[in-house]
Amino acid sequence: MGSYIIRRLIQAIPILFGVAIVSFAIVQLSPGSPIDRFRGANVKPETLANLARLYGLDQPIPQQFVSWITTFLQFWRKEAWGFSLVDGRPVRDVIFQRMPATLLLGGVALGLTIIVAVPIGILAAVKQYSWADKIITTFATVGYSIPSFLLGIYLLYLGGVVLHAFPLFGMRSLVGGGSPLDIAHHMVLPVLSLAIQQIAGWSRYVRAKMLEVLNQDYVRTAKAKGLSSNRVTYKHALRNALIPVITLFGLTLPGLLSGAVITETIFSWPGLGQLGVISVAQRDYPLVLAFVMIGGFGVVAGNLLADVLYGVADPRIKY
Amino acid sequence: MVSRADVSAVEIERRRREEAEAESEEIDRTPVRSYWQLVRRRFRQHRLAVFGAIALVVLALYGIVVPIVTGGAWHQTHLFLPEAPPELFDKDGNFTFAILGYNETGQNLFARLAKATQTSLEIGLAAVLIIVTIGIFIGSIAGYVGGWLDNLMMRFVDVMLSLPALFVILMITAFFGGGNVWVVILAIGITGWTTAARLVRAEFLSLREVDYVQAARALGASPRRIIIRHMLPPALAPIVVAATLGIADSVVVESALSFLGFGLGSQEASLGTMLENAQNYFFSGPLKVVYPGVVLILIVLSASFLGDGLRDALDPRQRIETK
Amino acid sequence: MTGTRAGAGPLLEIRSLKTYFFTQDGTVKAVDDISFQIAHGQTLGVVGESGCGKSITSLSVMRLIDRPGKIVDGQVLLNGVDLLTKSDDDMRDVRGDQMSMIFQEPMTSLNPVFTCGDQIAEAVQQHSTMGRREAWERAVEMLRLVGIPDAKRRATEHPHELSGGMRQRVMIAMALSTDPDLLIADEPTTALDVTIQAQILELMRSLREKNRMAIMLITHDLGVVAEMADEVVVMYAGKIVERGDVKTIFGAPHHPYTQGLLRSIPRLDARVDRLEVIKGTVPSPLNLPTGCLFKRRCPQRMAICDVAPPVRDLGRDHVSRCWLTPEGEPPEVGAETKGAEAEEAAEALTVGAR
Repeated sequence: MGSYIIRRLIQAIPILFGVAIVSFAIVQLSPGSPIDRFRGANVKPETLANLARLYGLDQPIPQQFVSWITTFLQFWRKEAWGFSLVDGRPVRDVIFQRMPATLLLGGVALGLTIIVAVPIGILAAVKQYSWADKIITTFATVGYSIPSFLLGIYLLYLGGVVLHAFPLFGMRSLVGGGSPLDIAHHMVLPVLSLAIQQIAGWSRYVRAKMLEVLNQDYVRTAKAKGLSSNRVTYKHALRNALIPVITLFGLTLPGLLSGAVITETIFSWPGLGQLGVISVAQRDYPLVLAFVMIGGFGVVAGNLLADVLYGVADPRIKY
Repeated sequence: MVSRADVSAVEIERRRREEAEAESEEIDRTPVRSYWQLVRRRFRQHRLAVFGAIALVVLALYGIVVPIVTGGAWHQTHLFLPEAPPELFDKDGNFTFAILGYNETGQNLFARLAKATQTSLEIGLAAVLIIVTIGIFIGSIAGYVGGWLDNLMMRFVDVMLSLPALFVILMITAFFGGGNVWVVILAIGITGWTTAARLVRAEFLSLREVDYVQAARALGASPRRIIIRHMLPPALAPIVVAATLGIADSVVVESALSFLGFGLGSQEASLGTMLENAQNYFFSGPLKVVYPGVVLILIVLSASFLGDGLRDALDPRQRIETK
Repeated sequence: MTGTRAGAGPLLEIRSLKTYFFTQDGTVKAVDDISFQIAHGQTLGVVGESGCGKSITSLSVMRLIDRPGKIVDGQVLLNGVDLLTKSDDDMRDVRGDQMSMIFQEPMTSLNPVFTCGDQIAEAVQQHSTMGRREAWERAVEMLRLVGIPDAKRRATEHPHELSGGMRQRVMIAMALSTDPDLLIADEPTTALDVTIQAQILELMRSLREKNRMAIMLITHDLGVVAEMADEVVVMYAGKIVERGDVKTIFGAPHHPYTQGLLRSIPRLDARVDRLEVIKGTVPSPLNLPTGCLFKRRCPQRMAICDVAPPVRDLGRDHVSRCWLTPEGEPPEVGAETKGAEAEEAAEALTVGAR
């Protein structure tokens, strides 16, 4: 197992390197320069040249890339990920400061997803063609088809504007906010708008896998042994059906790390996703690059985690 | 996978027909159907897919016809008509078709929604065209040539899949765009081709070993001919399905972009810009958020029903089997 | 663990069993009005081409038919008790205890996430009062009995760590762990190599002697039947076309279909240049011919075959569903007879369900 993980980590290096190249290329190819924001009638050309030198913009592009990536890797240093072009703060600190809000939102949404989606997916499969199945399948199809940003807008309107039950934005009340209850109150709508689509997707997947497994020969063997249908379903079938669900977990992880860009923006949730959108809008390149790299890291880590968990859950896989 | 079964299904049908003919004195009344007859029949049985196809046609017609009928009404502002109620004719008796009323700047909402539907569908179609083109190109080369080239291309696909897609689209539209439709289409297209490429590659890898491709190769057919004549057609079924679902995805991404203010300019009419604009009038006119949202959901639902139906219909393994 | 062994009657008796599948394209009569019985300790071979309904028959006996299939009529009597009228709970006590089943695909018939020992012990525990430990001991013992070397270690392994032949032995061990009266074996050797096939058959034969159990052996392989069975049932398109003891079926087959099947297997004692095959394919179950189901492929087809043939009694428990006389001649009513006259003749000639 250990050597497998190490091998996978080594394989991840070229992928992350590729992510770095692509994101760096997009920034480089984009028209204009990071120092354009300092241009003005009363800014001397020498000042601009100095700024360009300061940011290393006078060097050839490959050299810029190498110096960016080498400092980027030294993440334990405060200046490793550069400084925000907008407020000059170290990018690394800004990101770590935003991370908890994102993890909280994504984590709660994921937890809710698992708690709800797995049981209803199983129910729909076991009682295939029943009313329960039809209702769950319909919910899942519709829920999966409503874009999460649209759901966010509608939830905001319904819960915030019509019912006045939930706050319209942010994570804490402006006055006297910050208690766990207050944060939970703020979280309800964004969590729902994230979770509903995930629940729809997960329950469909669990249902499909469960149906697939229930048609397997070994389920028939279990029935032929005279086991009760509960034992056949919840011991023999479920154990096999849940193994591939691990893959979904791996797919959800990157979103957990880099945040739900749109949902956070709609609800002004002070997390990484919202920061990402702001940084793109402000062309805050160091921040944008760091954000893409964290996203890439999340994907690689999610895949690795899923594969490792798969190996733990499925005895057929040996590393 | 699909295609191999596809070939065998066609083969079985052919054999069956020969046998039916051999039994000259008595014709087997088993209906002998061609692959496409089966596809059509299975598709029609899939009621949701038929609904999806019809709904998409209706939406497309709405997007094409209404802007023609109403002319420039979708962008004309009427300072004297802000938030005016629905009407079919204005006070001078001219036909306006404003059955959804007017928005805060006096624009005809029904006409504007039609234009937005048109724009969004156009963007979706164009983006999918790019996605499918790149996907077939990369996937077929990787799958046909194999070896190091395949390896290199698949590592590139891995890189693309590791990028936070929506965020990269945001970057491209923000840095290069300034509200240009083509930048939006390109951004969606060049980030979205990985699934299509993987599908085509997988098909090609399995088809490479199939007898008739081996035979074509043994007969000295050129790779170009083998790919276009023998390998692409059976690989088309999953591509068609992926493209159908891709339209919905692209429309959603465009709406999200425009909603965040990174897509089209707010002067343009797309489902996303209408949503963004409507959000500013949350408290006064909530229905304006509902209209474009409903159209968006309809597009996504219809496309996914259509995609599911096509997948089931095009998959020849789904014949009703009896033991 | 074993049910009462009634001395007199047959162990298993199937009366007019009908299992239909209700598909989108129409009703498929997978098993259509079949009757036969198996005595204690006897082996019955059920043969036929794939799709003839032999597997559905065995699954119907176990009551393991899933949607869209349904047992629509008939009786399945085990020791005189109709299984089809039992509640689901009562049926579970029979399944895996009084009768067990092994399947065609050893590769997929064992649950991949549990060890072989666990899966056998589970069956044991289900039908006895044994504790975990005792059941596990029994599982290891059974693995030893079916000839798995190093049974103690093998019991702790997962199915994927075993070869196909070994897995089929595990399946047999599982099926026999509750000491059943009846073992239903659905193509138990089809998926295996020839040498392994012989080993598994030998194993089943020796266990049959040891446990005095009856076997319902479903196969398309006539060689296996000749080797194992006491009595043979030949099925075609959901119906039994011929039934008799193994010597009669192989020595003096009556039905043209049985004759065709026998001619299509290679023999050592007769030199032939080319093996004969039965022309054509099994008719689509959705579109069966009227009258005799086999007529389209039959070399001895007559006009009267458009009327459903009688089930003729050929003596010594030998029956055949064919118009031909016991001597193989065209029927007394005349080969060209049609309509009501032929139907009456068929009814008169048909022997009632035993």
